Amino acid sequence: MKKTFVNKVVGPLIYVLCVTIALKSFSIWSSPLTNSLKVNLVQQKYKISGQILDSNRIPILGVNIHIKASQQGTYTNEDGAFSIAAEPSDILVISFLGFKTLEIEVGLKKQFTITLEDDITALDVVNINAGYYAVSEKERTGNIAKVDSKIIEKQPVNNPLGAMQGYMSGVDIIQDTGVPGGGYNIQIRGKNFINGSTEPLYIVDGVPFGSESLGVSEVSAGINNGNISPLNALSPTDIDSIEVLKDADATAIYGARGANGVVLITTKRGEAGTTQFKMNLTSSLGQVSHFLDLMNTSEYLELRREAVTNDGYGALLESSAFDFVWPDLKTWDQDRYTNWQKELIGGTAFRNTAQLSVSGGSEQTQFLISGAYQKETTVFPGDANYKKYSIHSNLNHSSNNERFRINMSANYAIEHNQMPRTDLTNMAYSLSPNAPELYTQDGELNWENNTWDNPLAVLDDDYYAEINTLMTNINLSYLVLPSLKVLGNLGYNNYQIASYKLLLNTSRNPSFGFTPEGYSSITTNDSSRDSWIIEPQLQWVKQWGNINLDVLIGTTFQSQTTDQLVIKGTGFPNNSLVNNIAAASELEIRNSSNSEYNYQAFFGRINLKLKDRYIINLTGRRDGSSRFGPGKQFGNFGAVGVAWLFTEEAVLKSNAVLSFGKLRGSYGTTGSDNIGDYKFLSTYSVTGNDYDGTLVLEPSGISNPFFGWEVNNKLEIGLELGFFKNRMLLNTAWYQNQSSNQLVGIPLAATTGFSSLTGNFDATVQNTGLEFDMHVQNIQGENFQWTTSFNMSLPKSKLLEFPNLENSVFASKYVVGQPITIQKLFNALGVDPDTGMYQFEDYNNDGAISSLEDRQWIEDLAPEFYGGLGNTFSYKNLSLDVFFQFKKQKSYNELKQQAAPGLMNNASVSFLNRWQEPGNQTPLMIATSGFDFNLIPSRDNYRLSNRTISDASYIRLRNITLNYSVPKALTQKLALNVYVQGQNLWTLTKFKGPDPDQPSYIILPPLRQIALGAQIHF
Amino acid sequence: MRNNKSSKQYISFRYYTAFLVISHILVFIIICSMTSCSDFVEVDPPKNTLVSETVFEDAATVESALANIYYNMREQGIVSYDICADMGIYADELDYYASNANDLSLYLHSVTAINSNVLSYWTNAYSLIYAANDIIEGVNKSKALNADEISLYKGQALFIRAYLHFILTNIYGDIPFITSTDYVTNNTISRTPIQDVYDFIIEDLNLAVILLDSKVLTDERVKPNRATVNALLSRVYLYTENWELAEVTSSLLVDEFELESDLSKVFLKESKETIWQFKPDASNVRNTYEANSFIIQVIPGNPYALSNVLLHSFETDDLRLEQWVGRFSSANGLTTLYFPYKYKALLNEEESLEYSIVFRLAEQYLIRAEARAQLGNIIGSQSDLNTIRNRAGLEGTTAASKDAVLEAILHERFVELFSEQGHRWFDLKRTGKAGIILGSVKPNWNPTNVLWPIPESELELNLNLFPQNSGY
Repeated sequence: MKKTFVNKVVGPLIYVLCVTIALKSFSIWSSPLTNSLKVNLVQQKYKISGQILDSNRIPILGVNIHIKASQQGTYTNEDGAFSIAAEPSDILVISFLGFKTLEIEVGLKKQFTITLEDDITALDVVNINAGYYAVSEKERTGNIAKVDSKIIEKQPVNNPLGAMQGYMSGVDIIQDTGVPGGGYNIQIRGKNFINGSTEPLYIVDGVPFGSESLGVSEVSAGINNGNISPLNALSPTDIDSIEVLKDADATAIYGARGANGVVLITTKRGEAGTTQFKMNLTSSLGQVSHFLDLMNTSEYLELRREAVTNDGYGALLESSAFDFVWPDLKTWDQDRYTNWQKELIGGTAFRNTAQLSVSGGSEQTQFLISGAYQKETTVFPGDANYKKYSIHSNLNHSSNNERFRINMSANYAIEHNQMPRTDLTNMAYSLSPNAPELYTQDGELNWENNTWDNPLAVLDDDYYAEINTLMTNINLSYLVLPSLKVLGNLGYNNYQIASYKLLLNTSRNPSFGFTPEGYSSITTNDSSRDSWIIEPQLQWVKQWGNINLDVLIGTTFQSQTTDQLVIKGTGFPNNSLVNNIAAASELEIRNSSNSEYNYQAFFGRINLKLKDRYIINLTGRRDGSSRFGPGKQFGNFGAVGVAWLFTEEAVLKSNAVLSFGKLRGSYGTTGSDNIGDYKFLSTYSVTGNDYDGTLVLEPSGISNPFFGWEVNNKLEIGLELGFFKNRMLLNTAWYQNQSSNQLVGIPLAATTGFSSLTGNFDATVQNTGLEFDMHVQNIQGENFQWTTSFNMSLPKSKLLEFPNLENSVFASKYVVGQPITIQKLFNALGVDPDTGMYQFEDYNNDGAISSLEDRQWIEDLAPEFYGGLGNTFSYKNLSLDVFFQFKKQKSYNELKQQAAPGLMNNASVSFLNRWQEPGNQTPLMIATSGFDFNLIPSRDNYRLSNRTISDASYIRLRNITLNYSVPKALTQKLALNVYVQGQNLWTLTKFKGPDPDQPSYIILPPLRQIALGAQIHF
Repeated sequence: MRNNKSSKQYISFRYYTAFLVISHILVFIIICSMTSCSDFVEVDPPKNTLVSETVFEDAATVESALANIYYNMREQGIVSYDICADMGIYADELDYYASNANDLSLYLHSVTAINSNVLSYWTNAYSLIYAANDIIEGVNKSKALNADEISLYKGQALFIRAYLHFILTNIYGDIPFITSTDYVTNNTISRTPIQDVYDFIIEDLNLAVILLDSKVLTDERVKPNRATVNALLSRVYLYTENWELAEVTSSLLVDEFELESDLSKVFLKESKETIWQFKPDASNVRNTYEANSFIIQVIPGNPYALSNVLLHSFETDDLRLEQWVGRFSSANGLTTLYFPYKYKALLNEEESLEYSIVFRLAEQYLIRAEARAQLGNIIGSQSDLNTIRNRAGLEGTTAASKDAVLEAILHERFVELFSEQGHRWFDLKRTGKAGIILGSVKPNWNPTNVLWPIPESELELNLNLFPQNSGY
C-alpha cells in the first residue's frame, strides 16, 4: 500500500523532472547540428558578423542567431563572435537562455555589436520581507517562504491562510470547516509544544495581529466550531504578499513569540503613474465535494431489526407499547427513503465578490483605495449567509530628497455572519433513511407525532455575528545621515465581535410543551480586543570597500486588552421579542472577563557582508511579558545566520550551468509565552451566578509563580541552487527544532481540585525535516510560457526526552522516541467468528483487556510528507494554472464515529458486512441497538483500536485557473481579464470519510468551488 | 534660481524639524523604556477575578466563596438531583428508558472505569473539597475576620468537606481524604481506608458542631447549621453502626424539629421537617431540578420511571403512593409510567414553591428507629417507625422481633425516602442486602458492584490510587 502511494506521488514527480530536463537539453543542445548544416548551403548571401556581449560587456558563448522565418542560424564562439549570411531585409533573432530575445533588422550594416539584456529570475531584485528588515532573495540567510499576490488572487477563498494552502514547504494548513466564517489550522514545521498551540505569530503590515478567536462556545460552538478566525477580515485580494519565517535566523528577532514561526502579511500599495481603476468581479459556486456511501432504507431497517433482536428485545418489537423506543422500525413509513446528505448539505453555496480599487500618484506620493463586498451562502437549506464589506487604503509618501518617508495603511472590515445555530452535517450523515418528511402539507415543520427532532428546526434558531476589524499602521523613517536612519512603526488594531444565538421554543419538539416564557432565549457575546504597538528603531548602514555592515536596533512596546461579556436572556413574552435582549425578563451574565497583556522588548540585528559572498546575520531580542510572574518576565533570544554565495567565487563565477549557489545555515533560540494571561496568579472569579442572593466567587486557578518561557532551539542548513541563468531554482533545507522547558497545563489528578496547572515541563520535543522548493521556467518563448513549481516537506517529530514519563500524567499519551502526535490504541484482532465480538491483543497477558496496559499499538497522525505541484502555461493571452496538493497521512475513519452496527442512525454501507451467525468471518461485529450491555466493552474498545485509523493520503487538484486577457484591440483602453477558477475539484484518495484533511462527521467539509470572474483595468 | 534655492532650504528645514520632533519622541520613549520596562510588563489583575488572598480579607467575599460551594452542590454532582436519579437506577427504585450509554450502564450494572458518571462525581466532589479546604486555610490565616466569622465559615467548610467525603467513600470505598490545598501533595495522594475516612469525617463534624451555633443561619434553612451537622453525624453513626451515638444524635433533631402531618406539605419550601435544603436560583430556575427530571409529561420524555419493585412495595392505603407517586399514560393508553412526584413544581413555574431537600426529619426518625432496634429497644423503635407509618395513613407495624423490625425499617426507608439522595442504594449496600435484593432484578449483578470503580483517567493521573477496586 505504501509502495503504491509512493509510486503515485513520486511517479509524476520524476516524470515532470524528466520532461523538464529533456526540454532544457533540447532547447540548448539539440539545434546546432541541424543549423550548422544549413549554414553551408546558403553561400550566395553576403556575410555579416558581430559580437554578442552581456550587460557587463563580457562576450557570451553559444548564443543562437537565426534568421527569422527560415531554418538558417548559427552560434557565437568563445569570443562572443558570430558570422552569418543574410539579406538586408532579413531579421536576426538572437536568443540565449537567461537573456531577453532580441530581434534586429539586418539593413545595410555588416558589423554588429549587440548587448543582450539579462532575463534571469533576478534574485537580487526579489525583495523578501523579513519583518523588521527587508532582504534580497539572493542574500537572505534565513528560511523565508513567500507567496505573492499572483498566487493569492487565483484562489477563490475568504481567508489569507486558505490562499497559502499547499504552496509553501513546511507549512501545513487545514481548513476547519466548509461553513463560511470559519477558521484554519496552521502548523509551521510540526508541533513543537506538548500542550501548546501551533498558532504562529501574525504580523500585518508590521503590527502583530491577535489571531485567537474571541468566539465563545455557548454561542458559536455548533456552527463555526467556536473558532471564528479574525484573519477573515483581510481580503486575500488586498494582500500583496505573505511571507512565512521558519528558521531561527528569521524568527529570533521575534524572540518569545517566534517559536511557532511568523506569518508576515503585507497589504497592497499604490504605484506611481496615471490613476488606475481596477474592478474585479467573481461569482463562485460551492458544493460538498464528496458524499458518503450510506445504507438505503431496506438495508438500514433490516440491520436495525437484527440489532434489536440480537439485544433480546425482539419480542418487545411486536408490542406497540414500546413503539416510542424505535419509531424508525414501527411508526415511520417503512418504504420511505430520503438522501439526507442531498437534503441537508446538498445545496449550492454562492459566493459573489466585487472589488473596486483606485491607485496612482506621483514619484513622491502614491495612494491606493480599495473597497470590496462579498456575499456567501451555504449548502444548507434556508437563507443563511455571510457578508463582508471591506476597505483597504494605503498612502505612501517620500520627501523630495527621499530622506523622509511615511507609509500609512488602514484596513477596515465588517463581517455579517448569519447561520443556523448548528451545522447540519452530522444530521445529514446520521438521520435514519426513512425519517419523516421535513414539512407537513401546510408547510409547517413536521414533528411526526413527536417522534423525532426535525433537523430543520435549528434553521430558525439564528446564529448571528457581526465582526468589525480595524487594522492601522504608520511606518516613518528619516535618513539622518547617509548611513543612519531613524525608523518608527506605530500600529493600532481593534477587533470587535458582537454575536448572538437564539433558542426558540418553536424549534423544539412541541410535546415538550415549551413556551417562549420558559424556553426561548438569546445568548449574546460581545467581545473586543484592542492592541497598540510602538517600535522605534535605528538603522545604520556602512560600507568599507568589500565590507558591508547593516545594523538595526529597536524596542517594542505592545499592549493588548481583551474584554468579553456573555449574557443570556430568558423569559420572553413571545418569540418576536427574543431578538431584543431588553425584553428578557431575566438576564444572566455568563461571562464577563477582562485581561491585559503587556509586552516589551529590545531587539537588534547586525548583518555583515564580505566581498558580496560571505554573509553573517546576527539577531537578538530581550523580551518581557506580563504573562509571567515577578522575576520570570524577561528572557533573551537570539540567532546567528551565515550564508556563502559560492557562485560568486572565481571558479564558479561564469559557470554555464550553475548560475547561483548559496549554502546557508542558522542556529538560534526562540520562545513562546502562548499560555493565556494571568496564569501565575491564584484567583477567584465571578461566575455571574448567585446562591441565596449571595454572589458566587469560584476558585479559578491555582498558582505556580515559578513558570517561565518555553525554549525552542532551531538549527537549519540550506542549499539554494540556480541553474541555467536561474531558470531553474532549487532550494533545499534541513532543519532541527528542539523545544524544551515545555509550558503546559500539566494535567492534575482531580484530588487537587483542578484539572491542570500551568508549569514548565522538562521534556524535549524534536522536529526535524527536509524541505524542497523548486521553480522551473520550462519554456520561456515569446508566445508560449510554461513554468513549474514544486514543493515538498518531509517532517519528522520525536519526543526526545521526558524524565520520569512512566510515572507522569503523560504516561498514557506519549512514548519517548515517538512523535507527540501519536495515539496509543488497542490492537484489534478482528471479529471472533463464534461470538461476533471484537477481539483485541492482550499485551500484558492478564486475560483481560484494560485500557491502561493493553493500548500499546502506536499510530502517528501527523503527515509523513506533503507538498504541492503547480504548472502554469500561457499562450498569448491565455493562461492556465494547475495546482495539485498531496499529502501522505493517516486519519480516523468512520469506525471512530460508530464501531458497532445497529444504533438508530444511518451509517456507512460497510456496516452491511457484519457478523450475523457463528462461523461468519466479517470485519464488523454483531449488530446491537445499544441495549445489550455485554456488547458495550467490545464496541467501546474498538473505537479506541487501530482499526479506527485508515490511510488518508491524497492527491488533490486544489486549484485550476484559466485566464484570458482580452486583446487590447478589442477593448480599446480597457484591460479586460476573464477567468474561471476551480478549487478543490478532484481528490484521489482511499479515504472513505468526508475529507482526508477534515475527517470530522460533525463539521461540514471544505467545499468544492468553481468561480467565474472578470477583472477590468482602466 | 534664488527662489528655487530658498524653497529647497525651506524644505530641508521642514524635514529637519520633522526629524527633530521624531527623534526627540524616540529618544523620550527609549529613555522611558529603560527606566520602566519591568513596570510595563507588570499588569493589574483582571477586573473580574480576585487574587485568592484578598478573598479572605472581607466577610462578604468569604460568604461568596461559600455560596459557590452551595451553588455547585445544587447544580450537579453527588449531593444534587443527579445522585437521586443515578443511584435510583443503579438500585431498584427507578427504571431507565433512554439510551445514554453512561446512564444505561448504571441501570444495567455494566459500569466501567471510563463511565463519565464515575468520573464526574469524583471530579466534582474533589473540586468542591478544594474550595472548602481553601476556605478553611484562608480564614485561618485571615487577619481581617473576627473570631465569630472565622468559626461560622470554618464550621460550614468542615461540614462540606465531611459530607462530600462521606458520599465519596460510600460510592468508591477507600478514597483520598483531602485536607489541604497543596497540589503537590494532593496530586500523588494515596487512598485512605474507609475506616480512617470515617474517623476524619467524625473529627471534622465534631469540630463543626462546636463552631456552628444552633441558630438557624437563614429562615429558609438553605445553609447548613449545627442541626445539619448533627443530622449528618447521626447518619454517619448509623452507617458506622455506632448505635448509641446514632440514637443520641438523631434524638437531638427529633426534639428540635417537627414532622409535617400533611404529606403534601413535606416537600414545600416551608416544610417544618426540613433540616437543610438548596434554594433554587431566584431568576430563571425557581423550583427543583428533581421535579424537572422526574415528572413525565410526554413519552419519550424524562427517562426515569418507578420500578415495579418499588411500586409494589407500597402497602395498600399508603398515602405516599397517592401523594408522592405520579402517573402518566400515553395517548393511546398502552403505556403507563409511574414517577417520583414528591416535588411537583416545575423549574420555570412562576412561583417558587419547592426547594431541593437534602436532610429532613423523617430520616432521623428512621435512623433512631434502627439504632434503637439494634440496641434492643424494640418498643422505642416501633414507636419511631410508627410515627412515619401513621403519617402515611398506615397502621402501626406488626413486626415484633429485632430482625423483623429491622426488616420493616429497611422497607419503610424504601417507601419513605425513595428518589431522595440515593438513600435506597446506600441502605442496600450498608446492610449487606444489595446482593440478595438486586441479584434478582439486575441480571448483571456482581458482588463487586457495591463499589464503583475509581475513574480510569484518575488512575492514569495518579498511580498511587492503584489498585483499582476489584471487579473493574
